[in-house]
Amino acid sequence: MNENTAILLVEDEDTLAIGLEFNLSAEGYRVTRAADGLAAVEQIQSSLFDLVILDIMLPFLDGFAVAEKIRAKDPQTPILILTARTELKDRIRGLEIGADDYLTKPFHLDELLLRVKGMLKRKKWYKQATEIMPVYRFGDNEINFDNFTCRAGDKTVHLTAHEAMLLKYLIDHENKVVSRKELLAEVWNLNSDIETRTVDNFIARLRKYFESNPENPVYIKSIRGVGYIFRSEPSQNS
Amino acid sequence: MKKSNDLILHIFIFVTAQLAWFLLLGLWIYWYVTNYILLNKVGGKISPQIITGTTNIIALVSGIVLLVMLSISMSLIFVYLNRQLNLTRLYDNFIANVSHELKSPLSSIQLYLETMHKMPVPRDKQHEFLNLMLKDVKRLNHLINSILYLSSLEQKKMVKQVTYDYYVYNADSIIRQVIGEALSEFKFPGKSVSIEGHVDCQCVIDRNWLKIVIKNLIDNAVKYSPNKAQIDIRLSTGTKKFYIEFSDQGVGIAPRNQKKIFSKFERIYNPASPNVKGTGLGLYWVKQIVAYHGGKISVESAGLNRGTTFKIALPIYEVSKKRYINRLLRLSKKYKPAMKVSDE
Repeated sequence: MNENTAILLVEDEDTLAIGLEFNLSAEGYRVTRAADGLAAVEQIQSSLFDLVILDIMLPFLDGFAVAEKIRAKDPQTPILILTARTELKDRIRGLEIGADDYLTKPFHLDELLLRVKGMLKRKKWYKQATEIMPVYRFGDNEINFDNFTCRAGDKTVHLTAHEAMLLKYLIDHENKVVSRKELLAEVWNLNSDIETRTVDNFIARLRKYFESNPENPVYIKSIRGVGYIFRSEPSQNS
Repeated sequence: MKKSNDLILHIFIFVTAQLAWFLLLGLWIYWYVTNYILLNKVGGKISPQIITGTTNIIALVSGIVLLVMLSISMSLIFVYLNRQLNLTRLYDNFIANVSHELKSPLSSIQLYLETMHKMPVPRDKQHEFLNLMLKDVKRLNHLINSILYLSSLEQKKMVKQVTYDYYVYNADSIIRQVIGEALSEFKFPGKSVSIEGHVDCQCVIDRNWLKIVIKNLIDNAVKYSPNKAQIDIRLSTGTKKFYIEFSDQGVGIAPRNQKKIFSKFERIYNPASPNVKGTGLGLYWVKQIVAYHGGKISVESAGLNRGTTFKIALPIYEVSKKRYINRLLRLSKKYKPAMKVSDE
C-alpha cells in the first residue's frame, strides 16, 4: 500500500542515509535521496513527494531554507525534521517554519517509522476532510483549505500547513472544548507537555488573521485551564 | 552581534567605575589638603601642639594606596571576567560543534543495530552495514581522541605526552614525500594538486605531525571548494625561513574572520560552504603544530569566494634558532616515540 508513497530523504551523512533508505524501502516507500540543500531544492522543483525527511545542518543551503522552499511550492507536503540540534529554539523555529514534526538524533528506528506513518495518515485525513468541503466561511472570513488561502475581511492571508490543520480541527469540533494536549497530539503528532506554548502561538496567529479584535476574540475563545473552543456564530452573552 | 554589545557594555561599566574611583580619590585628596591648610592656619593660633604632620601624611598615603589597590583589583577582575566570558563562548561553540559530530555517527550506529535487530537482513547487506558501523566507530574514536588529546595539551603535559620524533631532513624531499603520502590517504574524488617551486635547505621536522598539518589543509581545501578542489602548493626559500603555500579556489574567508579561524572550536558560518561539519579543532591543531616546529602559519584570502592561501613558514635548520631546534632533536633522542600519533 505504500508503493505509491514517495519520500524525499535530505541527509548529507552517507552512512545514515544508506540505513534510512534501506529501512524506508523495506516499508515499501519509494525513496529519493538528496545529499545537500541545493540538490533537495532541485528535487522538489522537479518532482512531487508525499513526505520530506529533512536534516538541518546541510551543505550549501540549510534545512530551514529548504523547508521554506517546500512550503512555497506545496503547503501540504508533510516535513519531518531529523537533526542533531536539540535546542528548544531550533525546535520552535522548525515547527513555526511549517515542519510537521521534529525528531532529534540519535533516534529510534521504530519511532521514526511510526511518525512517518502518522504524518502520512494525517495528510490523508486532511485531504479527505477538505475534499468534501474545501471552502469554509464564518463571519467575514472565507477559508480555502485546498490552497491554504483565506480572505479575512478585505485582506488575503496564506496559512501554513499547521495553521490550516489547526483551524480545520477546531472547525470540525465546533462548539466543543479542545485541550492544548489534544491539539498537540492530533495536529502536531506530539505527545509532550513542554510544547503547549506552540499551540498558543498558533492560536494567536489565527486570531490575528480572523478576529477583528484579537485581544477580545469572538470565534476562537480560550477556556481558562482547559483549552480552546471554536464557534462560527459568535454568542452574545459570553 | 550580541556578544560584541556585551563586551562594549562591560568596558563601559569598567571605565565608569574607574572614573568614579579616581574622582573619589581626587575629592579625598582635595578634602585632605583643604583641611590641612585650614588646620595649619587656625590650629597654629589656637594650640600649636595638635599639628602632628607626619601621622596625617601616613593617613593620606595609606588612603591613596588603598584606593589605588582597589582600582588595580578592579582591573584584574575585569580582565578575568573577560577571560571567563571568552571561555563561555568557546564552551558554547564546543557544545554546538562536538555534540553534532558525536551524535551523527552515534545515530547511524544505532540505526543499523536497530535495523538488524528488527528484521532479517540479507548477508551482503549485513556486511555493508557492519562496515558502515565500523567506519562510524572509527570516526567517534578519532573525535574522542582529539578532544582528550586537546585537554592534555592544554594542561601543558606536552613534554611526556607528545611524541618527539624530530629529525633533520632535506626540506624539499621530505615535504614532497609527506604531501604525497597525505594525498594518497585521501579518497576524495576530483581533487587536483600541483606542487611548484623548490627549497634547497635542511629542516627539523616530525613527519607525523607535518602530515597532520598537510592533511588538515588539504581537507579544508576540499571541504570549502564548492566544485572540484584545485590545490596549488608552492615552495620557496627566504633568508631564515622557508615557505609552504597552500592555495585553493574555494569559498575564501572574509577579512574579519581571518584571525578567528585558528582559534579553538571556532567555525565560521558561511552558507556558501559546501561542508558544514567539523569540530573547529583542525586549524587550531595546525597552528599549534607549526608553532612546535618553531614556525608560523598565516592566512590570506581576497575575500569571500576568492580562494584561500595558507602560508607556513618553517625555520631553515642551517641558519635559524639553533637552540630551540636542537632541544627538539635532543628530546627526540631521549624520548622514543611514546604515543602513536593518530592522524586519521
